[in-house]
Amino acid sequence: MPIKTKIKKYHIIAVGLFGLAALLCGLTGVRFKSMHQKDTFYPSAGLFRQLKLSDYFPALADTPGDTDVYCFKGDERGGNLLILGGTHPNEPAGFITAVLLLENISVTQGTVFIVPQANLSGFTHNDPFEGNPQKFSLVTPGGLRWFRFGSRLTNPIHQWPDPTLFTNAAGQALSGAEVRNLNRSYPGKENGHLTEKIAFGIVNLITEEAIDLSIDLHEAAPEYPVVNAIVFHENSAELAAIASMSLQMEGLDIRMEASPPSLRGLSHREWGDFTDSMAILLETANPSHGRLKGKPTEALITEGKDPNYVKAARLGMLFVPYGEEGIPIDERVARHLAAVEALVTGLQELDPDLVIEIEDFPAAPTVEERGIGLYLHSPK
Amino acid sequence: MIKILYHLIVLFLTINLIWYLFREKQFWAQVSTAIVLVMFLLRLFLIK
Repeated sequence: MPIKTKIKKYHIIAVGLFGLAALLCGLTGVRFKSMHQKDTFYPSAGLFRQLKLSDYFPALADTPGDTDVYCFKGDERGGNLLILGGTHPNEPAGFITAVLLLENISVTQGTVFIVPQANLSGFTHNDPFEGNPQKFSLVTPGGLRWFRFGSRLTNPIHQWPDPTLFTNAAGQALSGAEVRNLNRSYPGKENGHLTEKIAFGIVNLITEEAIDLSIDLHEAAPEYPVVNAIVFHENSAELAAIASMSLQMEGLDIRMEASPPSLRGLSHREWGDFTDSMAILLETANPSHGRLKGKPTEALITEGKDPNYVKAARLGMLFVPYGEEGIPIDERVARHLAAVEALVTGLQELDPDLVIEIEDFPAAPTVEERGIGLYLHSPK
Repeated sequence: MIKILYHLIVLFLTINLIWYLFREKQFWAQVSTAIVLVMFLLRLFLIK
């Protein structure tokens, strides 16, 4: 006996709405998926070789945590330097500083390793409920270059679920979501979560390459006390002091912050504790990162102008000077570049065997004055 | 294993939503269901 189904009006509406839901899913899906397209970098002619983090920890191979490592090696022996950008992909000045360096420098003495996107998985998504743009652009002589603006944390698609409490390899108990925060996962775990494996790979890189100085580039909100700062492990206190004095003499106000011994899992603590490297973390002030910000736009990321922060500065609530002109990414990157240069110079003052001679290092004053784009490769 | 379990739960809830969408007679309730369905479809296909 055939089954008779009467098609009613609400069935037709249901078909239409289902189609609409599928269409919306497709359209938003395309936007979400666009975050998984890799950024293009153009290493300078001085590149010695390009590696992967999995070369230092094979378990990372073919995982979303495997990221590029750029090696610049001089003919003469000298010090070994590691520069890490993109630990937190929503802190673009750190990431762009690393990109700027890898697209310009050549090394004549010593070795420089650059990891521009330390947490590559974090670049594949945004922080929920923040309304942040997915990308931002920078003007180069040959056109616009687009870069992803990601999340502070590893993508939950790549690492899930979060525990209620996360106790990192160093023994610090943290809130569950921090299990996806690379800068809470050091020294990492061989058999841990993806983020802990990335941390483990970076610590292996530092150990295997006998890195003398490791620098982790970050940004923080202007209302956060540790900003425009050099955060140093006690093994690099002298170096941080030399660099700080040098920067102050250049007119760059930068504060020194000692890495708290009881705050575990962070690069400036664990790199110093678990390796022979001097550990430094640099912070600049980024209003797009703060809680007082207005609408998060691409302009806020690059120009750093926000009227709320102007008001907050007038009320004395910020830890950095902030005016109508904002804190543009050019200035934030220039600060990082100046600090890296001062640290490299300071390193050879401390130990003449650890000379690192870098040519074509983007000059911080020029970057601040004329913009990052001048030093970025044009898009192909 | 936990990912498979997650997928099964999301799949079950998605099928329920679609079933509800076709049985519901009130237009605005159908619209609400369709809106919720978008989120579930994104989760089902692990799009983030």
